[in-house]
Amino acid sequence: MKHATTAGPIQRAEESVQNWKQNGGRVVGYTCSFLPVEVLSAANVLPARLRGTGVSQADIGDTYFGPYICSYPKCILQRAGSGQFSYLDGVIIIPGCDSMRRLDECWRKAGEDFQGIVPDFFFHFGVPHKAADHSMAWFSSEIERLIRSLEEHFGVSIGEDDLRKAITLYNKGREMIARLNNFRKASVNTLSGEEAFALSVAGTLMPRDEYNQYLGEYMDEVSSRKPGLYNGKTRFMLVGSVSDDLQLISMAESLGGVVAAETLCFGQRHEGDLIGENEEPVSAMVRHYLDESLCPRMLGGYQARLKSLKEKIEEMEIDGVIFQNIRFCDLHGSENAIFERDLEAMGIPCVRIEREYGALADTGRLRMRLEAFMERMT
Amino acid sequence: MRPEIKEYNIDWMIWSIIKTAGRTTRGSDKEFYAMLEYVPYFRGILDPIVREGEAGKQFLELVGEYMGNIVNAHDDGKKLAMTTFCFSPAILYAMDIMPVTLEAISTLGALMWRRGTYDYLDYCCEVGFTETSCSSQRGSLGAYLAGLGENIDMIVCDSAGVCDTNANAFAFTSAYLDKPFYQLNYPPELVTDRTTSYHREDYYGLIAFLEEQSGNKIDEDRLRDVLTELQKQDEILTDIEEMQSLVPNPMPILYNLFIYAGRFFFAGMDNYTRMLETMRDTVSANAAEKKSGLRSGKENLRSLFCYIDHFAVNLSLWDWLDEHGITQVGNILSKYYNADAPYLEGSREAGYTINTENLVSMIDTMAQMNARMPMVLSIRGPYDAPYMWFENSLMLAKVFSADCVVYNGTPGCRNTWGMIKPFARDMEKEGLPTYIMYGDAFDERVESWDATAERLEEFFRVRGLL
Repeated sequence: MKHATTAGPIQRAEESVQNWKQNGGRVVGYTCSFLPVEVLSAANVLPARLRGTGVSQADIGDTYFGPYICSYPKCILQRAGSGQFSYLDGVIIIPGCDSMRRLDECWRKAGEDFQGIVPDFFFHFGVPHKAADHSMAWFSSEIERLIRSLEEHFGVSIGEDDLRKAITLYNKGREMIARLNNFRKASVNTLSGEEAFALSVAGTLMPRDEYNQYLGEYMDEVSSRKPGLYNGKTRFMLVGSVSDDLQLISMAESLGGVVAAETLCFGQRHEGDLIGENEEPVSAMVRHYLDESLCPRMLGGYQARLKSLKEKIEEMEIDGVIFQNIRFCDLHGSENAIFERDLEAMGIPCVRIEREYGALADTGRLRMRLEAFMERMT
Repeated sequence: MRPEIKEYNIDWMIWSIIKTAGRTTRGSDKEFYAMLEYVPYFRGILDPIVREGEAGKQFLELVGEYMGNIVNAHDDGKKLAMTTFCFSPAILYAMDIMPVTLEAISTLGALMWRRGTYDYLDYCCEVGFTETSCSSQRGSLGAYLAGLGENIDMIVCDSAGVCDTNANAFAFTSAYLDKPFYQLNYPPELVTDRTTSYHREDYYGLIAFLEEQSGNKIDEDRLRDVLTELQKQDEILTDIEEMQSLVPNPMPILYNLFIYAGRFFFAGMDNYTRMLETMRDTVSANAAEKKSGLRSGKENLRSLFCYIDHFAVNLSLWDWLDEHGITQVGNILSKYYNADAPYLEGSREAGYTINTENLVSMIDTMAQMNARMPMVLSIRGPYDAPYMWFENSLMLAKVFSADCVVYNGTPGCRNTWGMIKPFARDMEKEGLPTYIMYGDAFDERVESWDATAERLEEFFRVRGLL
């Protein structure tokens, strides 16, 4: 198999979605990593995480959203309004943050002006901001509500066995991603950050069984590489706002670094730990998606996130951390500042950058910041 | 931050100013107006408030007492809880904890200082809190982050799921200052059984947190006193609001500010009740004479502010509205949602009922009331969902016979800026001219008041409203 270009996995994933659809499969788009995708998979519906990449103008996004809003939901809306999501059989909006929450109204209201852009199945999936017993119970009822809605709308039945199978299927992918991560460790160092991240993004699109197979084949190829391929490069970790394009990573790597780890909701943070297979499936999903989340929307969890970050930095022998946030992303933007303060106090070099979502709009400025950061560490 | 600002404690500074301002009313009118010459910037707030007579004086006393409570809390053996405007302080008073409400303090600074709270706003950014975050918190938060406020003991907020940007300010502060933190978190719906249960369970968690941090156990009698006082306040508010629906509106325009600020400062405390009683008397007297509450006595137009007011600098917004004969029939801050509120006829389930029978019923009351605080009630779900922002605003516009709707907020309000355009369009479809202000309620650097006023003027002129 060929992996000559690192965009390959994403391209492959997009083709898989098209094939799924052409073969009569149903596809439901979703907006945030808090969605238990296993539920959709159990309904034999393909969950496809919505991306806003490739957008070159914002006339539709700006018409419905106000000016002080993150460019990520605007780009998704732009694509929706342009008919690029017309293949979707449904959409699930998750209130990950204020901006993403309002994609619900803006998309539906855009549908009054652009015919056919709002699929019949349009679901607002509430997610609490804490993992207390009562919020876990509420989240559990929300998953049950989603299950009932899917069953009713798509005429399917989602039983406990279906959920268990889906959990097992997704766990297999999680285990493989964890193994894939080993190739990024300093002692092996045969996988670039760009490749690893592309594989993670692909996992949010591709049918899971196909993804697992693809990942296995990919890992076979990576295993054959000579260890130490990226030795001598500055080892970065990328942290912060949603990102599903490869350009920031490729820029950091083009400057003589390697992104050896990231915690982004499109990346491995999205996959997290395994979901318990020997317990009641909804409860297991609740714990995984709510209690184990590392997203700053889970307010008050800073210390736990700092601990996780430190462990990752140590495990992956990171030289410096790149914190990034999309403008108007206050959750990541402000937490990044405290991370920076605390990590710098531990002697870990950090840089904080603000950017727009998608293809780098200000490449020169970002390149200069990263070059300066590299200089600091060498 | 300017060096001279670093010399002062924000709480003490505001307390001193308000305390002094309160004393100015003790002399004769001649003395008062002679004194105004010596406070050229502060007169813009002092003069209009004092002109409101007894209610204005009580308001100054109320604010002074609130700030004094903060300054003296630790000496009095009380704990300080940093909190937000949409969190009812009643539970804190019931547990002998003093609330430090960031937005209220930001508002006071924005209203009365010539340079607003710019130093504190900017200091937040200096320590990494994003400049795109809401100025309503940043306007005072900067002082606490810089160690220029009273030492906070704990942080509680109730905006997660309602306004994450707001909640994030408190989470950031908790992490930055290493302070204990509790957030009440709201699901995107209001009246379902599971959500009612969520409100209750979450509130029990809050009480456990407050007990642990303050060392004070919740006192049933004290809570009953607070809720009984709240019931009185709600009844007075009901009277006032019923009269507000009269044409012309007999309520002086500045009472809007007094109503919500008083509630944010002292919900459930008798000093707020006294001020409300004074206000009700004035409004009743005006109503009896069929007189407008505006200074001009002539009501040309009735406006509903669907979000918040404009506080930078002085009381310019209300002055402007008053000069143009525009009544303000309320905003999202000034409405309360007791099930008996005049605008809840037909949807009583959206309101709370005060039940003081026993501790369980009282905690439940507090939980359901807090779930109906400004913004918490109506901005949690999609704006066009049942009970949410659009339905709520439209209902208020109809009940109070508003001729138009005005949105004003801050650029940090991700929540409303995410939906205000389609919201305004829907409102227009209902026949209500709707204007979106682009300034910042707390930071005049975003758009000067002069520019804001010019644009307001343009809206009213172009739409043929005036």
